[in-house]
Amino acid sequence: MNKTTTTSVLTCRDLSVGYEEKVILSDISLSFEAGQFISLLGPNGAGKTTLLRTFSRHLDPISGQIEVMGRPLARLTAMEMAQFMAVVLTDKVSPPLFSVFEFAALGRYPHTDFLGRLQAADIEAVENALYAVHAEELAHRPFSDLSDGERQKVLVARALAQEPRLLLLDEPTIHLDLKHRVEVLGILRDLCRTRGITVVASLHDVDVAAKVSDRVALVKSGGLSDWGPPETVLTGPAVSDLYDFREAEFCNQLGGIELRGDGRRGRAFVVAGMGTGAQVYRMLAKRGFAISTGVLHENDLDYFVARSLGAECITRKPMEAVDAESVAAAARGLSDCRFIIDCGFEEGALNRENMTLIEAALQTGKPMLTLRKNGLSTHSTSGNGASLIRCASSAELLEAIDHEFTGETTGKPLSAQEGDAL
Amino acid sequence: MTTAVHAIAPTTTGFWRKPGVWFFFLSLVTLSLAVLNVGIGSVSFSAGEIWQTILTPREGAAMTDIIWAIRIPRAIAAVLGGAYLAVAGLLLQVYFRNPIVGPFILGISSGATVMVSFVMLTTLTVGMTVLTPFMTTVAAFIGAYGVMMIVVAVAARVKSGITLLIVGLMMGYLCSAVTAVMTALAEKEAIKGFVLWQLGSFSGFKWSEIFVMLVCGGAILIMTYAMSKPLNAFLLGEEYAASMGVNIRKFRILILLFACALAGMITSVAGPVAFVGLAVPHMARLIFHSSDNRILIPGACLTGAAITSLCDLIARMLLSPVELPLSAITAFFGAPIVIGLLMKRRVKL
Repeated sequence: MNKTTTTSVLTCRDLSVGYEEKVILSDISLSFEAGQFISLLGPNGAGKTTLLRTFSRHLDPISGQIEVMGRPLARLTAMEMAQFMAVVLTDKVSPPLFSVFEFAALGRYPHTDFLGRLQAADIEAVENALYAVHAEELAHRPFSDLSDGERQKVLVARALAQEPRLLLLDEPTIHLDLKHRVEVLGILRDLCRTRGITVVASLHDVDVAAKVSDRVALVKSGGLSDWGPPETVLTGPAVSDLYDFREAEFCNQLGGIELRGDGRRGRAFVVAGMGTGAQVYRMLAKRGFAISTGVLHENDLDYFVARSLGAECITRKPMEAVDAESVAAAARGLSDCRFIIDCGFEEGALNRENMTLIEAALQTGKPMLTLRKNGLSTHSTSGNGASLIRCASSAELLEAIDHEFTGETTGKPLSAQEGDAL
Repeated sequence: MTTAVHAIAPTTTGFWRKPGVWFFFLSLVTLSLAVLNVGIGSVSFSAGEIWQTILTPREGAAMTDIIWAIRIPRAIAAVLGGAYLAVAGLLLQVYFRNPIVGPFILGISSGATVMVSFVMLTTLTVGMTVLTPFMTTVAAFIGAYGVMMIVVAVAARVKSGITLLIVGLMMGYLCSAVTAVMTALAEKEAIKGFVLWQLGSFSGFKWSEIFVMLVCGGAILIMTYAMSKPLNAFLLGEEYAASMGVNIRKFRILILLFACALAGMITSVAGPVAFVGLAVPHMARLIFHSSDNRILIPGACLTGAAITSLCDLIARMLLSPVELPLSAITAFFGAPIVIGLLMKRRVKL
């Protein structure tokens, strides 16, 4: 990170930023390279915008150096700056009577003559910019008539018309619907890949940032808490710490955020495996149940979801068969559960012992809900057939849970948060 | 995308969408109105007589005086006044990105008014009645440019346009407060003249004043046109403008300086002519269907000149020989337009 200056587009060392002696962030050292997508992540008010505004020279740094292409930022003329970097701000701009094309053409400012007349090359650059953001069909529309999503794309086009090497965006996806959120980020990523533009954006969605970024900078409490590739930086604890999550956890492997339940409706034991449990866990968490689960392999999707939801997991190493010992451990967890769910996983050599666990669970006499297709072969041993509820689908399972297990605790289900990540 | 497919670049279509057509048309209208303003008045002359007088002015003849000393300066003043006020309004609307801003929003007219109130309402000038028209001009000039200097000085310090706007408004209120006190203390006869001055008039322009206005104002107009590229960038706000390489500190001062200088120039002689500076930029935007200042600056000039000439003609002729206050007529035109624009939200700045 230190001396790879050959391709470094922007480097800052020991930078402190803020307003008039009020330091907001300090000791920031970063280096952005050509064609990278860099996300600034952090809670509102952490200083992401302040940092971006310092890079764009809207604010003077309080101390430290910023270099672009090996030259001090402060030494660049306004025109050099404009040809080097472009910005997309959160300010609501809506100049009247501009067509989209004319609006994007404003970005040619640092390239045009004294009166700003467009030459053939300028027109081509504007057209390319509009194509790059898939806004060519908007070209003749009045800018003030655009939707938020279309407007954001055209704002990016205006910045691209400037032909910058560095593009700074403040909250480019805020206020956008899902379609445009995905589209705008896709456009930005393409700009990095195909044009070698360095994109620096402050983002809110950690899960999306993890998927599009080459580097992420975590901005929190007066400084940079971490900086590097999202694959290593964005761990569950790091994200929980960044946003002060208590009820949720970011899962690196799943690339999403899982919302935990408060567990006040009691504990459920889930026998799952091979992806059969993921939805059931989320459903239980959403409805306020605590979860115990087992026996899972540590590379199972179910394991990642269960762990992020804060479930008690009894696990085995990948490729190791579930053995009597782990089943016994899981069986001990059955006692403090209100009911048991069998997710109907396929039996195989490595998880056959989980069937023994189900047997043991039936023995406890606690209610069991099963999703197993051909039904659970009610072995003669379990005399209590009433406690076995067969469910054909997860919807039925849900209904059964709501119906059967309301009373005991305060009973009010949690507000139905959409816990499923993108 | 190396091949230039100019498929999506806009092409100007339609005869009335071409700015040149409108420039020509508006010039023609302005010229005709100016000719009418010279030709029509409370004393009627035939066209031939007027033509004769213009070609061969006879010293001492009443007709020569009316045409050369009253009507022609007034016609020219209306053209210049409309053009300058319109451009001043346009500049401030662009700078503040606000549609209800006019050239007097920063207190230019209030500054002029308060100084004029000293001259017209107090006994300071008793016995100097002969000097009154000239004194009024000097006082208005001092007031208008005094306020302008304060505003520009403030603009050099504060960063936010809104702060500046509020400072300007407050200056206006301060000046109005002083004016109100002066009015309360003044004699009745003096108040009527003062109230009429406040409504503006293009009468009483001297050739020397017109000459100064033409040279100074013309120079400012040319410089303003040369600024149309950064002005276009200002349409996106100062932050975007700065990111595109505009020296906003410099241009902010220039915009305010030019706008105030143009408005102050007219106000000094004609008094505060209402609504032209506020409404004409909107009309120009509608006519030219553009916010591009390269079109709007000349466009607002011509529209302002035409509208003001028309208003002056109406003011003089509607209840002739009684002359109606100019601001009353311009407001008749201006208010419905502003209301209409607010209803039709497409055109907002």
